Amino acid sequence: MRNWRLFGRFLAKLVPLMEDIRQTGCVTFAVSEARDGMKVVPSRSSEWVRPVTSQKPASAIIEIDRVSQVFQTSARREHLALSDISLTIEEGAFVSILGPSGCGKSTLLYIVGGFVSPTSGAVRMKGQTITGSGPDRGPVFQEFALFPWKTVLGNVMYGPRQQGVRANEAEAQSRALIEMVGLKGYENFYPKELSGGMKQRVALARTLAYHPEVLLMDEPFGALDAHTRTRLQNDLLNIWERDRKTVLFVTHSVDEAVFLSDKVVMMSKSPGRIREVIDIDLPRPRRRNELLLDPRYQKYVVDIERMFDESDEAGSLS
Amino acid sequence: MMSPSAVTKRAAPVLACIGLLAVWQVASLALKNDSFPTAIEAIRAIPDILGDKESLINILASLRRMTIGFGIAVLVSIPLGLLMGRSRAVAAFFNPLLMVIYPVPKAALMPIVMLWLGVGDITKTLVIFLGVSLPVIYHSFEGAKAVEEKMLWSGAAMGLSPLQRLVRIVLPAALPEILTGCRTGLVLALITMITSEMIARQSGAGNILFNALDMGQYDTVYAMIIIVGAMGICLDAVFERVRARLVRWSEPQFDMPLSFS
Ligand SMILES: Nc1ncnc2c1ncn2[C@@H]1O[C@H](COP(=O)(O)OP(=O)(O)O)[C@@H](O)[C@H]1O
Ligand SMILES: [Mg+2]
Repeated sequence: MRNWRLFGRFLAKLVPLMEDIRQTGCVTFAVSEARDGMKVVPSRSSEWVRPVTSQKPASAIIEIDRVSQVFQTSARREHLALSDISLTIEEGAFVSILGPSGCGKSTLLYIVGGFVSPTSGAVRMKGQTITGSGPDRGPVFQEFALFPWKTVLGNVMYGPRQQGVRANEAEAQSRALIEMVGLKGYENFYPKELSGGMKQRVALARTLAYHPEVLLMDEPFGALDAHTRTRLQNDLLNIWERDRKTVLFVTHSVDEAVFLSDKVVMMSKSPGRIREVIDIDLPRPRRRNELLLDPRYQKYVVDIERMFDESDEAGSLS
Repeated sequence: MMSPSAVTKRAAPVLACIGLLAVWQVASLALKNDSFPTAIEAIRAIPDILGDKESLINILASLRRMTIGFGIAVLVSIPLGLLMGRSRAVAAFFNPLLMVIYPVPKAALMPIVMLWLGVGDITKTLVIFLGVSLPVIYHSFEGAKAVEEKMLWSGAAMGLSPLQRLVRIVLPAALPEILTGCRTGLVLALITMITSEMIARQSGAGNILFNALDMGQYDTVYAMIIIVGAMGICLDAVFERVRARLVRWSEPQFDMPLSFS
């Protein structure tokens, strides 16, 4: 993982350099200018705290409106996990929430899911204030949270059956979904008989089965090995590119966020705040092997990583 | 065809029983004590007891009380334990109560219960009920507490109401733990059954045993012990089969996860 990141940084430096050589025949300071010209994110800290504009596009599906969350810690102290978060998510967008561990990413996702109610502020889905969970928002958790007493098929059918879909119809749909996530032949296996990657595929199919309008994914690939994670990222993109559901995707991996998303929401810690929202302007459909070599992709990754590094230094100084 | 290891596994309990009886036989022959009949004498007395209509009625009455006491206890304790495991308020209300009842030997409550309800079926069944309830409540409580919150959230997102989540997620998820409690409860039911009949002697297997003891019929006493023991072993074996079948999904019998992502 670390090696890949270093390699990515190396490529990111190398590729524009080579283009310069090709175009001008010599290496000059034009490198930095060219990079500045491509700059997509402001690098001065004063610009980071730019508030999210409260403009309301017609296609906004989720509006997070000045949400704060205070937790009572065991020492009877108050811990501000989320501070004044505002964010608008457009319909059909793949949005990643990126930040260090403990910055409140999961909490924010749980609030959107309606599993946790915020201390202050509100979240609206299509204009309706969210007061609880519902089948319009389907979660996929890092811990899979499958029903261990149900088979793969039983897990996937659970949602549709609950929604009143007839048994044979639900079964046919579920079998198709299981095939789509690459688990054909495993319909009658119990979760304990599956590897981590397979469990997460089942969890994804189980959530897709009841057709939520928004997918809420909380570090879904965080517990998987690098190889499995890459495969699942590719498969998720393929599935998503078919029906373009709105996805809110929590991760602490910069590569993952840039690879998957239309928009990356960078968060900082203590208290959890939005630092920056970055539009990822990369063509779709995205192919991993092409994207890794794409200087634009590399620049996004490097710039975002640098911003996190700088804020770490700033944090340690203060 | 059974594999050799399966054969040994099956034969082991039988061999253990035979070994135990052999030790008994040798010991009683060596001691030559009137109040300690040999294993063979005791086994010979078993058909007499089971052939006697009066004894059979007694034993069946014991079993009936045990079944009713156990059944009601399970029906009440599982929902209570699950509710306590998922609701802090319910737990806060019942916990102190159960903490007081837990360490009290249920048979010690017999005299008081007898004062109020007499020496009949109700008293004995009630004592069995109390004996079974606590382990079942405790294990249901622990099982429900351990249910992963994300599992409940997944259910909530599918549209399950709180009650549906309790019945359709918490109950199955906690089932392995609940059944462990029920198994303990079953053995306790047998123990409290015999104990209650020793205290309120009027009918039942415990009554036969103690009457025989009073009359110095030691082979009948030992035969009854064998019968009660055998009942316990059979009940436990049957229950264990049912349990293993119900929670097959949780047993670590497929140790090797498939290495496919
Ligand atoms: N139920 C809770 N009670 C108290 N503190 C909590 C609770 N949930 C989260 N926190 C705290 O809130 C902060 C953010 O947590 P979380 O949303 O899980 O962060 P992330 O997902 O970004 O790692 C952490 O400091 C965590 O300790
Ligand atoms: Mg988290």
